Amino acid sequence: MGDILGLIGKRLGLGLVILLVISAIIFFMVELLPGDIAQAVLGQGATDENLAALRREMGLDKPAIVRYFEWLGGAVTFDFGNSIVTGERVSVLIGERFRNTLFLATYAAAIAVPLAIILGIVVALLRNTVFDRVANVLTLTSISSPEFFLGYILILYFSVNWGMFPAIASLSQNMSLWDLLHRTFLPALTLVLVVTAHMMRMTRAAIINLMASPYIEMARLKGTPPWKVIVRHALPNAWAPIINVVALNLAYLITGVVLVEVVFVYPGIGQALVDNVSKRDFPVVQAACLIFAATFILLNLAADVGAILTNPRLRHPK
Amino acid sequence: MSYFVFGFYALLLTASCLAAYFDKRTWFLTIFAFTLVSFVLGIVGGTSTLQTVTLLAGLLALAAMVSYAFREFLVAIASNNMAKELRTAPLTAAFGLFVIFTYAVAGIFAPWIAPHGEAEVISTAFAPPDDSMLLGADQLGRDIFSRIIYGTRNTVSLALSGTLMAFILGALAGLLAATTGGWFDQVLGRVSDVIMSIPSLIFALLMLSIFGGALATDTTSFALLFVFAMVTGLLVVIARAESNIMSWVIGLAVLVAAAAGFSTGMLILFNPSEVILIMVVGVIYAPRVFRLTRAVAGNVVVMDYIEAAKLRGEGKWYLIRREILPNSTAPLVAEFGLEFCFVFLLVAGLSFLGLGIQPPTADWGSMVRENATLISFGDITPLIPAAAIALLTVAVNFVVDWMLHRSSGLKEQ
Amino acid sequence: MVKSKDVLLEIRDLQIQGYSDEQWVDIIKGVDLTLHRGEVLGLIGESGAGKSTIGAAAMGYARDGTRISGGSIEFDGMELTTATEAERRSLRGSRIAYVAQSAAASFNPAHKIIDQHTEAPLQYRLKKRLEAQEDAIELYNRLRLPNPEEIGFRYPHQVSGGQLQRAMTAMAMSCRPDLIIFDEPTTALDVTTQIEVLAAIRDIVDQFNTAAIYITHDLAVVAQMADTIKVLLKGEEVEEAPTKEMLDNPKEDYTKSLWAVRSLKREQKSRPEGATPLISVKNVDAAYTGGVKVLDDVSFDIYEGMTVAVVGESGSGKSTTARVITGLLPPMEGEVLFKGEPFPPDYHNRSREQLRQCQMIYQMADTALNPKVKIAEIIGRPAQFYHGLKGGKLKNRVDELLDLIELEPSQYYNRYPPELSGGQKQRIGIARALAADPTFIICDEVTSALDQLVAEGILKLLNRLQKELNLAYMFITHDLATVRAIADEVVVMQHGKVVEQGPKEEMFTPPHHPYTDLLLSSVPEMDPDWLTTLLEERGVDNIGDAASARIDPEDSRISK
Repeated sequence: MGDILGLIGKRLGLGLVILLVISAIIFFMVELLPGDIAQAVLGQGATDENLAALRREMGLDKPAIVRYFEWLGGAVTFDFGNSIVTGERVSVLIGERFRNTLFLATYAAAIAVPLAIILGIVVALLRNTVFDRVANVLTLTSISSPEFFLGYILILYFSVNWGMFPAIASLSQNMSLWDLLHRTFLPALTLVLVVTAHMMRMTRAAIINLMASPYIEMARLKGTPPWKVIVRHALPNAWAPIINVVALNLAYLITGVVLVEVVFVYPGIGQALVDNVSKRDFPVVQAACLIFAATFILLNLAADVGAILTNPRLRHPK
Repeated sequence: MSYFVFGFYALLLTASCLAAYFDKRTWFLTIFAFTLVSFVLGIVGGTSTLQTVTLLAGLLALAAMVSYAFREFLVAIASNNMAKELRTAPLTAAFGLFVIFTYAVAGIFAPWIAPHGEAEVISTAFAPPDDSMLLGADQLGRDIFSRIIYGTRNTVSLALSGTLMAFILGALAGLLAATTGGWFDQVLGRVSDVIMSIPSLIFALLMLSIFGGALATDTTSFALLFVFAMVTGLLVVIARAESNIMSWVIGLAVLVAAAAGFSTGMLILFNPSEVILIMVVGVIYAPRVFRLTRAVAGNVVVMDYIEAAKLRGEGKWYLIRREILPNSTAPLVAEFGLEFCFVFLLVAGLSFLGLGIQPPTADWGSMVRENATLISFGDITPLIPAAAIALLTVAVNFVVDWMLHRSSGLKEQ
Repeated sequence: MVKSKDVLLEIRDLQIQGYSDEQWVDIIKGVDLTLHRGEVLGLIGESGAGKSTIGAAAMGYARDGTRISGGSIEFDGMELTTATEAERRSLRGSRIAYVAQSAAASFNPAHKIIDQHTEAPLQYRLKKRLEAQEDAIELYNRLRLPNPEEIGFRYPHQVSGGQLQRAMTAMAMSCRPDLIIFDEPTTALDVTTQIEVLAAIRDIVDQFNTAAIYITHDLAVVAQMADTIKVLLKGEEVEEAPTKEMLDNPKEDYTKSLWAVRSLKREQKSRPEGATPLISVKNVDAAYTGGVKVLDDVSFDIYEGMTVAVVGESGSGKSTTARVITGLLPPMEGEVLFKGEPFPPDYHNRSREQLRQCQMIYQMADTALNPKVKIAEIIGRPAQFYHGLKGGKLKNRVDELLDLIELEPSQYYNRYPPELSGGQKQRIGIARALAADPTFIICDEVTSALDQLVAEGILKLLNRLQKELNLAYMFITHDLATVRAIADEVVVMQHGKVVEQGPKEEMFTPPHHPYTDLLLSSVPEMDPDWLTTLLEERGVDNIGDAASARIDPEDSRISK
């Protein structure tokens, strides 16, 4: 057991280091700007006194490294300073939106993950049949379509032509859960389509790879019935690859969510990020990027830890 | 019950009976399953749905026929070896090749094909289609069809350049890391790990928020291009010069000149904001290419023939060029296709968000965004550029799928 | 022993096809086979003979990418080719069992060994779980596994290869089948481990009077196990005869060629008087980065024009020694001398001239030749690189080298390695080494991946080249027949230490170091009674890993 804890500890440590490096990249990239944020806020016409005053107010007179640690310290407690466009607290601006995004991603994942894994296994078992080929073409098509293409097609049919779901996923207080699920159905469905396709293909590949192992043939030659070969011999070894597939695709979800939120005007953090990139509101951009990157890294970390935990060779060391 | 519906089911049922009679099991199952699905669709959606289904089936059949004919065409004009390969290509791959070919023609000959200029205002906003405008006008009164044709050239060339940049840098670094090993390999591996742990779209947005505004000038983009070319070239010099000081001096001199020439050339082809987009894509995707090339080359490097060449005293450049590359081309070409798809979708996404290719340059992603309001009136025009993106990506993916299948098939033997 | 004469398995005109290059090709072309109850049939043949495919077909099983296209397989009155899948499945595990080549890969890593053992008896409702477990322990006992009470409750990766192979045999026995298919069960094992497994398998098959098909490429091994031997070549039968008769009086030339290497012998040369050794390994210690020491105080000399065979089992450090000499692994202590001058420990620091002197021939010709480079370039490159030959001169040199290795230059000049057979590839590997004009060549298991007849050809060629070009060889091998055929001197290694060295004739005559003794006695001989005699002489517990564990490599005692 010591081995496995050591491995997990090492992996967590590595994740933490990567997170630190990335926070540094996100922070210091803004330092590349000619002049500084104060200049960006006030524009070309600003007087020197104004600039100096603003710099003092924003703490820009301190060296970059000090500001980085202050910023990092704040980020840990979800305090990202103030927006330079509206002056509001960044945490207030994106806090609610972050929750909305999480809701949308969870909604999509709750449908996509079981669906994709089941379909992926089915397709792997029906390999080289017509069903497999059709599934291959369909998933490839779905992967190849930009999220906004799928999103607008869904809007055109489900909302404009058939009027089944709203095209704009606006949220309000005191909505019932059912209402919420109904309103956010189309954005969730768009995400499901893309993620399921990715996940299905990867699950299929993982299962096919597994079914070629000598111990699967051995199980067959012992007279084990097909269902038992899969449940008893393939599945216990399939967890690691499947966990990996799921985590990787939840990461896809993160990227996809930005575009989908824009298409459906969904009040999430992705839309906030895009808006503020055009407005050059750097504190907000930095905060949103850090949140996205941290989620992504944590997911990968979870996958690796999961893979370590389910590996029989590591679970029962010599 | 119209004649159409009657004919529709009669045709399907006859076909399934014929298939069953001639013992074509797969065909029978496919057609009969399709018949059952149509029953359900017919009951739920009525005649119009069945018409849509027929239309789709017709389109599919058309695509299949085009692909078949195109494959036969390629077989006829290709050399013997190629023809043998092509004959085994599935229809999907032939379809992919056909689409890529069409896009290439449209992109190269855009000014001759498009009836109007790229940014030429010829009508009122959102004017409906007429004789001179196949798809109507956009929000500024420009011909949508012409802009789609021009978009082929702009969007694809930009994505292609980005992929090339990422690929040259990533593949070189990967090959060199695999042959060198040790700390060089470790450092590059860690750097690419870090870059890859930021989601690509997010990283692109972050970089564009910095370089996108006032920094999108000739000077900045020249500097970026120059740095990029220097880094890439440095890898070549490391591999070629080894520990010979004279070769280092000559190599570096040639490198500076080449980098300057390259940067100037790029700035003639693209405007500064496009250059920045290309660089952003290059930086984001190079680590992904690096990781794959490192893995592919890593499998080759452990072979005894590499050890034999090393023990002979061969240099890195020889190892890369003569021993490793010939054994990694197939997976690398497939990977190039895959990366192109990713890059293309990323660029399209950025343009859709208004942060990619800037107006008035015609570009598919931004066209979707600009005309998106039409969708709420049930007009599908804005979907056409989006479909153009999807079609090219699908096509490339089909071809890549075939190539991957082929190279894995060879492995099984 | 009297064996009942009921026919258990009857295969008639079996035809099996395999799918390759988009079409079905015949891989088994009409093989007949009759097996009686309690009889052991040895199926022998070289790679590609189709023996494994026939083994699977005897269970009514066609591997992925193969299909049974004709003939009949009748098992105890049941026709397997027309039976339903469910009927065939109900035989597997219960009445016909299978023992695979690689036990490590064929046990599921996720379950304990005993749970995999009891799967079949539980599936067929033959026993309750606890009964089945008791029976498993009983079988482990009979197969002489250490800690039989406990070993089943471990996971496969916690058990060594030889033990795992015996556990798999126990698993095959779990339902007391009528027939067991052994598919090269000892091929992946070291000789000393192999003998242990062979003895255990033979005993248990005898005890339960189980019929068996024993598939292998090693005639000496099958001679110990089988009552009858059938020889296969490319999917067709060559001949079949009772074991004794087959060994004493084989009818077909092909069968005789199966022990070609064993009949090869050559004069032993002795060291030249007063000369400096060409290569001298002096007190070398080596370890891979961060690992434990794999070489411990290794010293030996190789003289010009002589062959030194380095013998040992996997993990004994013989390949590591080669890596130290070539400079791929600089040693921690000690040094390598070339003609009395120290060789730089890292190959990066060696001059071209030094690199040229010492060439290498590899075990796997497949990975030793770049598949995308033409033969002419593979052979020509060293000549070009070291001697600066170009154009016509280079072509002449390549032709000369191809002549030297007995291949027709015009036919091979423009071909690629994948188009050649295993033996031809190995010859190209030799030509590449010769192209450098070396004085010393390391041959790393060069014949172990080849079929016997081809291996004999390669050994003869190497012998001839040595005479013509006065080459020194360091010959790494685990096969003592090869040592007998080619060596002048022998170095025996165990656990990274040299346990004994000396001229060949001395090494093959007692007294021996205990490890040399164990190694020599573990090599199966072409005598059906060899195993029986050996077990009587040494005792069941003094063979294999158990015996090897008792030997201390430091032991300088020479036993009789």
